[in-house]
Amino acid sequence: MSDTLPILDSADAPHIATNETIINIDDLSFSYDLGKTNTLRNISLEIPKGKVTAFIGPSGCGKSTLLRCLNRMNDLVDTAKVTTGKINILGQDINASDVDAIELRKHVGMVFQKYNPFPKSIYENVAYGLRVQGIKNKSILDQAVEESLQKSALWSEVKDRLNDSALGLSGGQQQRLCIARTIAVKPQIVLMDEPCSALDPIATARIEELIAELQQEFTIVIVTHNMQQATRVSDRTAFFYLGELIEYADTQVIFGNPSKKQTEDYVSGRFG
Amino acid sequence: MPGHILKNYDDDLSALKDSVMEMGAGVLKGMELAIKGLVNGDREQCYDVIDFDEVTDAQEKKIDEQGMSILLRFNPVASDLRQVLSAINICRSLERIGDHAVNIAKRSRKIIKAGLIEEVRLIDPLYLETEKIVSASLTAYSDVDEKAGLAAIEMDRQVDKIHKSLSKTLSHKIADTNEDTESLLNVIFIARSLERIGDLAANIAEDVVFITSAEDIRHS
Repeated sequence: MSDTLPILDSADAPHIATNETIINIDDLSFSYDLGKTNTLRNISLEIPKGKVTAFIGPSGCGKSTLLRCLNRMNDLVDTAKVTTGKINILGQDINASDVDAIELRKHVGMVFQKYNPFPKSIYENVAYGLRVQGIKNKSILDQAVEESLQKSALWSEVKDRLNDSALGLSGGQQQRLCIARTIAVKPQIVLMDEPCSALDPIATARIEELIAELQQEFTIVIVTHNMQQATRVSDRTAFFYLGELIEYADTQVIFGNPSKKQTEDYVSGRFG
Repeated sequence: MPGHILKNYDDDLSALKDSVMEMGAGVLKGMELAIKGLVNGDREQCYDVIDFDEVTDAQEKKIDEQGMSILLRFNPVASDLRQVLSAINICRSLERIGDHAVNIAKRSRKIIKAGLIEEVRLIDPLYLETEKIVSASLTAYSDVDEKAGLAAIEMDRQVDKIHKSLSKTLSHKIADTNEDTESLLNVIFIARSLERIGDLAANIAEDVVFITSAEDIRHS
């Protein structure tokens, strides 16, 4: 897996937006009950490298399920199963038998709806993933922690209290810490599942600014119920309804002049 | 298209459209009164048009407020957003049409004061064509009809053609005689206002195309 999904050293090789596809989802169907019913049906889409792609749709449409398929988080559900199709990330079928989910998640990090720092110090939260990878050298860890906190726009607020408990931070700071923890292991892709839904407008604005900055280095896929947020942060938007991909296009098109009536009805608040 | 989940949203969009149509009906009436005042030599009608401009200006402000309120409260997207942006654009065009109606009324007043000349009758075909394009554009807006909008844009060619011919005729008359020069010049200015009204009506029709197809066809 490591050979086909090389860890990009962001410091040396900035992740510049290209037309290159980094995630290729081909005819994917997915079931939570061993194939009796498909929660996702025949989804095909290509996610470009170095861009922000938003998944939108009403509750239960499958957008979070699809996001969780991208780093095999659904493996944690015993009866979950990809029933048809493939997900290729950097050319590798991530559901192939020889692909280790833990290894995959080094390349495809995730930020959750509810911020979930470990009950450890700020420093240890960010260093955690690197320690799991076996990195023990203090200067390497120090550098990685500072770099990640800088990139997550938290460094100036916490640099003098790195050994304090992460749980003492505000909600917005905890979410940025979780982003720092995610990017510390230098994934190529960051998945965000409604990262601002538990935050106030100011903390939300900071996360949105952060997404714009992180885009320079990472490919971001974000699930959001906040359509204004999708218009602000994303380059491409995919609209899902009842487990199907209805429309996938540039965000400007989805919110300006969608080609499908269902998309127009949803984004303009005619059903939800 | 089904209604919005928020009924207020539909109500406000509908009220915005009603306001634009009300303003449109007002400026159409203003144009008619200004020309009737001229042809019938009725200065009172001309004064009515001039006074009515206050109403038109107030309607423009009201539509701006309604549009801004919808933008603030409902964050419209897609065709809803185009509908709000276009309503604000259209009311701007209508306000300028209203201003031209006032210009026509003021010029008419001067012509009447100096003594009616038979050349004012030459304005009729241009007025009829201009009235036609304004009505057609407003109907296209009311019906959200792209084809009707495109047809209205085409009608502006005819307005321009009649205007060009009329300007030539009136210029020759001024060159040929030393009488009624000022009134003839005023008729030329009235014709010029009608021609500009045709352009503004075509702009309204372009907004209709933008609402329906999302295509910005201005300057094309």
